[in-house]
Amino acid sequence: MWPLTTDAHGLWLALYLLTFCLHAVFVGYVLIGTTYALVQAVRRSEDPIAEQIRDRLPFMLGCGITAGVAPLLFLQLLYQRHFYSSNLILGPRWGAVVPALILGFYALYVAKSSEKWRKLALGVGSLCFLFVAWSWTEMHLLMQDEPAWKTMYAAGDRLYGDGGVAPRLLLWLGMMTSLFAGVAAWTAVSQKLAAPPLRRLAVFGLAGKLVAGIALAWLASRSGVVETHGWLYLFIIATVVELVGWIAMLRAPHGIGLWVVTAGGTAALVAGAVVREAPRLVILEPPRPAALEAGGFPVFALTLVFGVVVLVWIVRTIRTARPE
Amino acid sequence: MDPVPYYPVNEFGPLMKGLVIGGVGILHVFLAQFAIGGGMLLYAFERRAQRGDADARAFVDGYFRILVLVSFVLGALTGVAMWFTTIQVGARTIGLMVDEFHWLWATEWVWFSIEVCSGYAFYRFGARLDDRARRRLLGLYAFAAWMSLFWINGILSWQLTPGGWLEGGGMWAGFFNPTFWPSLLFRTAVSTTLAALAACVVINMMDLPRERKLALIRGAAKFAVPIAAMPLFALWFLSAIPEDSRSWLLGGSMPMTMFVGIAAGASALIGGYVIVGILMKKLTLNVATAALLLMLAFGATAAGEFVREGARKPFTVRGTLYSTSITPAEVEVLRKTGATTHDPYPLRDEHRYPSAQLILGAKVHRTLCDACHTLHGSNALVELVRTWTDDQLRLNISKLQRTKGFMPPFAGTADDVEAIVQLLKWEAAGTPDAWPVSNDPATLAQITRWLDEVGTSPMGGQ
Repeated sequence: MWPLTTDAHGLWLALYLLTFCLHAVFVGYVLIGTTYALVQAVRRSEDPIAEQIRDRLPFMLGCGITAGVAPLLFLQLLYQRHFYSSNLILGPRWGAVVPALILGFYALYVAKSSEKWRKLALGVGSLCFLFVAWSWTEMHLLMQDEPAWKTMYAAGDRLYGDGGVAPRLLLWLGMMTSLFAGVAAWTAVSQKLAAPPLRRLAVFGLAGKLVAGIALAWLASRSGVVETHGWLYLFIIATVVELVGWIAMLRAPHGIGLWVVTAGGTAALVAGAVVREAPRLVILEPPRPAALEAGGFPVFALTLVFGVVVLVWIVRTIRTARPE
Repeated sequence: MDPVPYYPVNEFGPLMKGLVIGGVGILHVFLAQFAIGGGMLLYAFERRAQRGDADARAFVDGYFRILVLVSFVLGALTGVAMWFTTIQVGARTIGLMVDEFHWLWATEWVWFSIEVCSGYAFYRFGARLDDRARRRLLGLYAFAAWMSLFWINGILSWQLTPGGWLEGGGMWAGFFNPTFWPSLLFRTAVSTTLAALAACVVINMMDLPRERKLALIRGAAKFAVPIAAMPLFALWFLSAIPEDSRSWLLGGSMPMTMFVGIAAGASALIGGYVIVGILMKKLTLNVATAALLLMLAFGATAAGEFVREGARKPFTVRGTLYSTSITPAEVEVLRKTGATTHDPYPLRDEHRYPSAQLILGAKVHRTLCDACHTLHGSNALVELVRTWTDDQLRLNISKLQRTKGFMPPFAGTADDVEAIVQLLKWEAAGTPDAWPVSNDPATLAQITRWLDEVGTSPMGGQ
């Protein structure tokens, strides 16, 4: 099934896409959640969702970073020369991603523990995470623009600044808003929150999709649509299902809307990841012999199964915790 | 053979690249090893707490917050930083490591994920869980953290001693290489020692009477006992590394020997104080002394990592990839085609050079020297060669691997040698506006003879 071939590339690509989706869920929650908490802190609004988010943000960032390591690994197998070259051209600007994440992480802890510094900390955190999102967007596009490498390098230019960066970033911010709303809605339901906060999250979910749709149209008008072998249609259908779910949730916050959102949103995320990857597949590098011959897959597969079992056990264990 | 891949090269001002990767690496190793030992120590103290020691329980619940913040955040993030920095410093090296060991790296990622989830679960819910669940979560955390070390250790030690991998033995022969076990045991001992010292700092800050603090300190100090076995592991490691690397560590290269001495001396001081002072003589340990010992351990870790990195020279992957990111087979090709003929990237400061020969020299420097040297900053080439005569420069660069055994063979033509010679002389002369072109056929013929005489094999590490 396109683009997942039966060779090593197909396996690396499948793992890249799946782990990327997992990463996107966490970082979407972090970026939009931090901004949401900031807005509520500025408004001085008594908001149980904002409180819940502040509490979970450091953990979610930890998960986001951990989940991000796997797609980073597979990216280096698929597009090594392109990724490294772009990395080197952006240079110290790219290197600033890690200090930004460290600063952002500690800002989240400050926001969680200090009411006095909360607004400042959330503001700093939002800027840090937005910087990281913007840097990754630039990196993604620069990888595909080899003719720009020489010019940028010669000029010592660290900003790519292509016209595609803004709509692409906007598209992600929209997608992340819906992802955030979905995850936050599940935690709200698990804590038996009342209907109004859930309705607010449904509005966020719909708004995120609207922003993403506008950005997608903007992007398509700039660079056209590449062949996606039906994945684009799947993405559109899944998005429609998700929209129906959000509308259902808006009307009946404790109904089945959230389940529909989750099913549609998951399918839209996976299909969207494939659609996102489609234009980049033209620069897919032939597998290097060392990578093709590398052993260890059975060990990884067994460890992964063990890891999933252990994670399930951890979830079951913490469910036995006494109430606070 | 595939064409030699060229990547854009970044410079870091007066810092040589080894200092950049070393700085990030040392911080990461220190934090990550502390997190591993910390997990084991917490598990032991949790068992003690469950036997009725309330102070141990207070320690676990207080200490763990610091451990989580430090190791999860900085340890994990500096790990990502290591990846990014290695790309900046030696993209081909990290590329080869990823190609060769990606499934093991993915395996390590699973263990790291388990470590993060179990650690967070304990941090967040530990106080509300029953004893059995607490013990299991901490045990899982400690084991997963050590398993991360297990996998990464094999990949890192492969760089210095690829072992049977070089003879086509495959990935596992490279992973379980000659320095795998001594390195793993050494790092495990370092991990428990770091955790013990950090614990002593934390215990000193707890609000407890002196005697109860001392009881906890003695419990924590037991975790530093493996330091006594470190000389054994170090000797095992030394016996397993290549002969030329060993000779540099043991007097052949004085900076390396001094770092070996610093690492050994600092470890001996720490081990002596903890084992003889605290455990045998029952001495006390205040917060200042504990912090000082921890800083000493940081110094020992830094020196040890410097030694490990330095011992690989002239390779980043022994026998496979030089520190210039060029393979031995590619050296032969570049001797014919020139080091920079196919480099697509122009210089960023081409306008400052008064001749095409100096431009070529700057490109040769960027391709062959920049990985370990700067022109005027740290490990500055201009200062290293300032007193050399012209012919001495030409001879020493042509026969680079004989000039210093830990240098790779020069990977360029006679024109490249002359271009870098002229660049170094021009830089030493203060970059004047005009500089004569040196293209005497007799000189170039002599350089060619020297290049042919010395060949393309390294002095060590074949």
